[in-house]
Amino acid sequence: MTGSLVRRLILLDLYLMRWPVAGALIAGAVSIALLPLSPVSAYVGGVSLICVIVILNIVLVMTFIVQEKKDKVQIFMLSLPVSTTQYTAAKLVANAIAFAGSWIALTVGAVAVIDVSALPDGSVPFLVTVLAYLLMYYCVLLGTGLASDRAGWHATVITVGNVSVNFLIPWLLSRPSVYRNRTGPVAVWTEDIVAVLVVETIVAVTALWLGLYVRSRRTDFV
Amino acid sequence: MTDRVIEVVGVEKAYRFFRLGSVSLELEAGQIMGFVGPNGAGKSTLMRILMGMIRYDRGAVRVLGHPIPEEQASAKRDVGFVSEDMRLHGNVTLAWYMKFVASIYPGWDAAYADVLLRRFNLHADQDIKALSHGERVKAMLLLVLARRPRLLLLDEPTTGLDPVARHEILTELMAVVEDERRAILFSSHNTQDVEQISDQITFIDRGRIIDSSDKETFIDRWRRLHLDVPSGVTLPSLQDVVETKTSGHIAVVITKAYSPAIESIYQRAGARVREVQRMTLEEIFVANVMSNRKEQAA
Repeated sequence: MTGSLVRRLILLDLYLMRWPVAGALIAGAVSIALLPLSPVSAYVGGVSLICVIVILNIVLVMTFIVQEKKDKVQIFMLSLPVSTTQYTAAKLVANAIAFAGSWIALTVGAVAVIDVSALPDGSVPFLVTVLAYLLMYYCVLLGTGLASDRAGWHATVITVGNVSVNFLIPWLLSRPSVYRNRTGPVAVWTEDIVAVLVVETIVAVTALWLGLYVRSRRTDFV
Repeated sequence: MTDRVIEVVGVEKAYRFFRLGSVSLELEAGQIMGFVGPNGAGKSTLMRILMGMIRYDRGAVRVLGHPIPEEQASAKRDVGFVSEDMRLHGNVTLAWYMKFVASIYPGWDAAYADVLLRRFNLHADQDIKALSHGERVKAMLLLVLARRPRLLLLDEPTTGLDPVARHEILTELMAVVEDERRAILFSSHNTQDVEQISDQITFIDRGRIIDSSDKETFIDRWRRLHLDVPSGVTLPSLQDVVETKTSGHIAVVITKAYSPAIESIYQRAGARVREVQRMTLEEIFVANVMSNRKEQAA
């Protein structure tokens, strides 16, 4: 019964998240559609795609993990026949499915549009690295949401996450290998790009592990 | 053979500014225990420990025979928990929640749920966010009662409700324990509600259980004596007297263990017993808390 209840809790969360996810997918699709139209629309499309993913990240974590606890909905959920660990697992899996599913769909969509349009394939590693950064940002915010109830921590992660994207892009473009290849006809996964992707993966996994570890050490769940 | 649904032995939980200190409690099937304490006494902390939501530092807890928190998921299959501050997701309807809860609990009684809908004057198609506080509490109670759990843990469910809503809820709870296998632990600082439905009463204050007994014993033990005390007469100091107030030649004495012998002792000392009054549960609660605080301070 418990296993099926965890599955139900995941489905419940996915059901409640359906509108933000659908909105993000529609807005993301529009952003991607803008990419090949002109240099200006490519810029607008790229920026709005980043904004859509960042907003989805914040909405999913803050509404369905942080706010659920603040609103005391969590007390009801924990009154059901699940352990606190199973409840946390259900929240994590549902949230990750909603975000990662949207992220994968939008990333694949953007890469596909670049592939079939006149946009240079050389921009794919740059785009994927920036979008992977947003996935890392999500993992850090999710880890923070799981570990802490303090609004100050959440606000700090959101502020740093949002602002840091503005530094990441010029920094990436300042790498000669990235700058040189981004307008080329072939996607080149340079050492710089691979190194950044590895760091993003390590930070994401560490943040999630830390979030779960801190949460598992807590003695009060409500 | 006793059928204990709750066994709490020496449970301790320390916070920075609050400490639940060595709490022990038992509840048997068929009983309604009123768990009475002032705000911040530790009622909710203990309720949440029973639900596995808060881990205790020391002691042992069993709910329906399951050790908590280790087997909380198994225990919660047959426990219904409602607390005053509990909320539901606002953007779905009560009908949606009824379907969700019914899908989890095979024992969901749809016919009883419909009866409760009518009795509580709730509308299944109404969004949760549109419910008033009283309707929300009744909705949560419906979701719990229609599962027909063996144990109900109710943490101040009547707080903030109007008298009619309170009456509706208390009436329903009294009907629940007509089934002798079921039990209720009902926390409140409203002694009227507790007096109305409980057969067992436990007082808690500042994280300590200060008294626990069946309701009749409480009402029977605690008395207020009005005495005439002539000049030159000193009232003897008795162990079970928790409060003595004097004004001129009149004294009012509260005892927690009344017997006619107490009257004789005062009479032998030269006082005249004018009246012996029974006390309400609220008066007993307040006197109990105040005398315990005085003992602690001494």
